[in-house]
Amino acid sequence: MAFSLRALSLHAGNFQDRYSGTRSGWWAWFLQRLTGVALVGYLFLHIAVISTARAGADTFDTVLIILQKPFFVVLDLFLIAAVLYHALNGVRVLLFDAGIAIRQQALLFWICMLLTVVITGVAGYFSLPLIFRE
Amino acid sequence: MKPRDMSAPLTSRQENTVTGFWPWFLQRVSGFLLIFLVGVHIWMTHFSGLSDVVRGHQEELVLFEIVKQRLAQGLFIFIDFSLLALVLYHGLNGMRNILLEWGPAARHAAGMTAGLWLLGVGTFIYGAWALLAFIL
Repeated sequence: MAFSLRALSLHAGNFQDRYSGTRSGWWAWFLQRLTGVALVGYLFLHIAVISTARAGADTFDTVLIILQKPFFVVLDLFLIAAVLYHALNGVRVLLFDAGIAIRQQALLFWICMLLTVVITGVAGYFSLPLIFRE
Repeated sequence: MKPRDMSAPLTSRQENTVTGFWPWFLQRVSGFLLIFLVGVHIWMTHFSGLSDVVRGHQEELVLFEIVKQRLAQGLFIFIDFSLLALVLYHGLNGMRNILLEWGPAARHAAGMTAGLWLLGVGTFIYGAWALLAFIL
């Protein structure tokens, strides 16, 4: 635990954003790490699932039919939200590296959050038939 | 046992391993490319066949035969293997970044980097072997 607490305290400190006076910069950083670690965990599970193809097409299909049941479609939406946030905030970081829009960092964070929610919502809307099918 | 002095500054070699240019640069390049690769991957697997499933023309979005047909195209073979390599690099380098914020890990950066490379290359070989079940 010392690891995470120390890492968090390094960044949490009393670091209010210079320009916005909020802590959105800390949240952006924290959520990037949280989604990153979650996605790495998912990646290894994903590769393990795909490797069931080595046991034959029937085994793969049996596993994949279970993983496309409504419960997992809902989990997939959380996955999509994590990927979206991580990608959008990644672009935000790339802009800062290029010296662009650093003063607008708090605004950009909220744009990332908004786009994540909206695009996940659209994906969820189109997935409704898969969630409520019999 | 005497506790390790965590306040001692890192040696220049440790400092260089921790804050090198290439991991930083490649994290950005791989991240940028992954936006497109992951986008295509999620679209193809979860949304392109959605209307067929909803209309009952297709049983599920992802089944062995569907993946096999997709991977009969050179473009998707290229996309999937690039995706596997880049996502492993980006993910494990990201883990390395997180670990290096922890003092004791920064002191063993070289060994930790080697360990993560081993894990990444091993997982790439395993993932490629899994993908080849659809191709060969």
